[in-house]
Amino acid sequence: MNRPLLIALIIIVIAVALPPFLPWGFDTIDWNAVRAGPSLHHPLGTDNVGRDLLARTLIGTRITVGVAVAAALVALVIGTAWGAIAGWVGGRTDELMMRIVDALYALPFMFVVILLMVVFGRSILLVFLGIGAVEWLTMARVVRGQVIQLKERPFIIAAEAAGVAPFAIITRHILPNVAGVAIAYLLLTVPQVVMVESFLSFLGLGVQEPMTSLGILVKEGADDMDIAPIALLLPGGILVALLICLTLGGEALRDRFVR
Amino acid sequence: MLDLIRRRLLTALPTLFVVVALSFVLMRIAPGGPFDGERPLDPATREALIGAYGLNLPLHEQFFRYISGLVQGDFGPSLVYRDFTVTELVAKGLPVSLTLGALALIVALTLGISAGLFAASRVNRLPDRIIGMVATVLTALPSFVTAPLLVLIFGLSLGWLPVSGWNDGAALNMVLPVIALALPVAGAIAKLTRAGLATSLLEDHVRTARARGLTPLRILFVHALRPALVPVASYVGPAAAGLLTGAVVIETIFAIPGLGRYFVQGALNRDYPLVLGVVVIYAALIIAFNLIADLAYGWLDPRVRG
Repeated sequence: MNRPLLIALIIIVIAVALPPFLPWGFDTIDWNAVRAGPSLHHPLGTDNVGRDLLARTLIGTRITVGVAVAAALVALVIGTAWGAIAGWVGGRTDELMMRIVDALYALPFMFVVILLMVVFGRSILLVFLGIGAVEWLTMARVVRGQVIQLKERPFIIAAEAAGVAPFAIITRHILPNVAGVAIAYLLLTVPQVVMVESFLSFLGLGVQEPMTSLGILVKEGADDMDIAPIALLLPGGILVALLICLTLGGEALRDRFVR
Repeated sequence: MLDLIRRRLLTALPTLFVVVALSFVLMRIAPGGPFDGERPLDPATREALIGAYGLNLPLHEQFFRYISGLVQGDFGPSLVYRDFTVTELVAKGLPVSLTLGALALIVALTLGISAGLFAASRVNRLPDRIIGMVATVLTALPSFVTAPLLVLIFGLSLGWLPVSGWNDGAALNMVLPVIALALPVAGAIAKLTRAGLATSLLEDHVRTARARGLTPLRILFVHALRPALVPVASYVGPAAAGLLTGAVVIETIFAIPGLGRYFVQGALNRDYPLVLGVVVIYAALIIAFNLIADLAYGWLDPRVRG
């Protein structure tokens, strides 16, 4: 198991498992402690309306990671399907499908996501659908490359000669062999989505209050940093740790599968 | 060279058109409009407003009107900043954003290439490892985390630099935003330069130069650096695009009146023409940067000129 991934996993497990044991919910307001410093009641203090910072940070981490994994899965499904079809069919279809991918690469994609947010309202569901719909391009390229290599391998040719239907060849023989690479890229997509989601939420265009995410927490922390730097440092630190660990972990995994 | 430019423009213009068309359609099928505020408008006023902005025409006619305006440099009226046209807002915001972005790119290139050079001259020794680690962390640090941190340290604790504002481009006001914007790009450039140099230092022409007794510094700068900068040049296009995106956050944090800030305000208030106009400008800029990067690539590596 590679170490960066392990660290990321530990952070995620804490964020998922700990909140039920905390006395405060992420949106419970403690009127006796507004903008309070760390104390026994609130180990990390409270925010500007008296919500427990530890609870909020944990839930924020959970939502950020949840959105990222969901969006990466959307990217995985679209990208794999697109790449597998393009690579398998080949010829004109392949040419056309990959030209579309090239054209989409040239789009200023952050602005496309913001556009989607503006158009379809700011719900969590759309945040990850929108991001996932933009992040599938690399996945499609990688999978297509793999499929084209696999197509020439004897066991696939044998399956074709034996009369197996193309759909069955793709799902039963090709996709299992692409899985390793696809999972490595899935892992690399996650930190990218974390970045995009926090970016949007920071600007107020992503996850909406009273729900929270690391991006919103960084934004709130930045507003209050002259009073309580911890409100910025904690969510910011977790965000950066997640980004670095997931990127390094994903790269290590990719290097093992791709030569 | 001219042929290359012509070919690139031939693909760039359709891409730009697709961006415009796509954004236009998306904006128009959006539920809720700019006049659906918290307080419902009087129906007659609403009708009059919608008529005045041509929002009741069929979609293709609105699109045609928009495109023909666009070609003449008219981005339409802003729906939120009622006293301004989008063209005026862009004319106000773009120079600010471009100054910010250009300075950040210069800082990133200077920092990144010199760090890369330093690391490559000491491959696999301690300085190289440290630079590699710092560069990795910098690329992973989102600018909306670095920027508040920089403000906290240099603005609030030490009190050396202004915390926010643009102040008509006063030098002191630019320092923090430019650095916050430049750092992630500098990290990526340092990594690319170091990797490029590490390979080019092993090549035959460098060995020949060494055998002829040239000084290590001359070898590094004259013989090894130029081929090593090819990947850096091809990264400048995406980097410039990244700087534009980053500028959106930086301008929000530092309250800088640039294009990115208008974009966020427009997006939060459903100001269609403003958002559309800014997306068009950004797309055009990104396409232009990629073109410039391609040309620089050809200059650095004669093999791709063809």
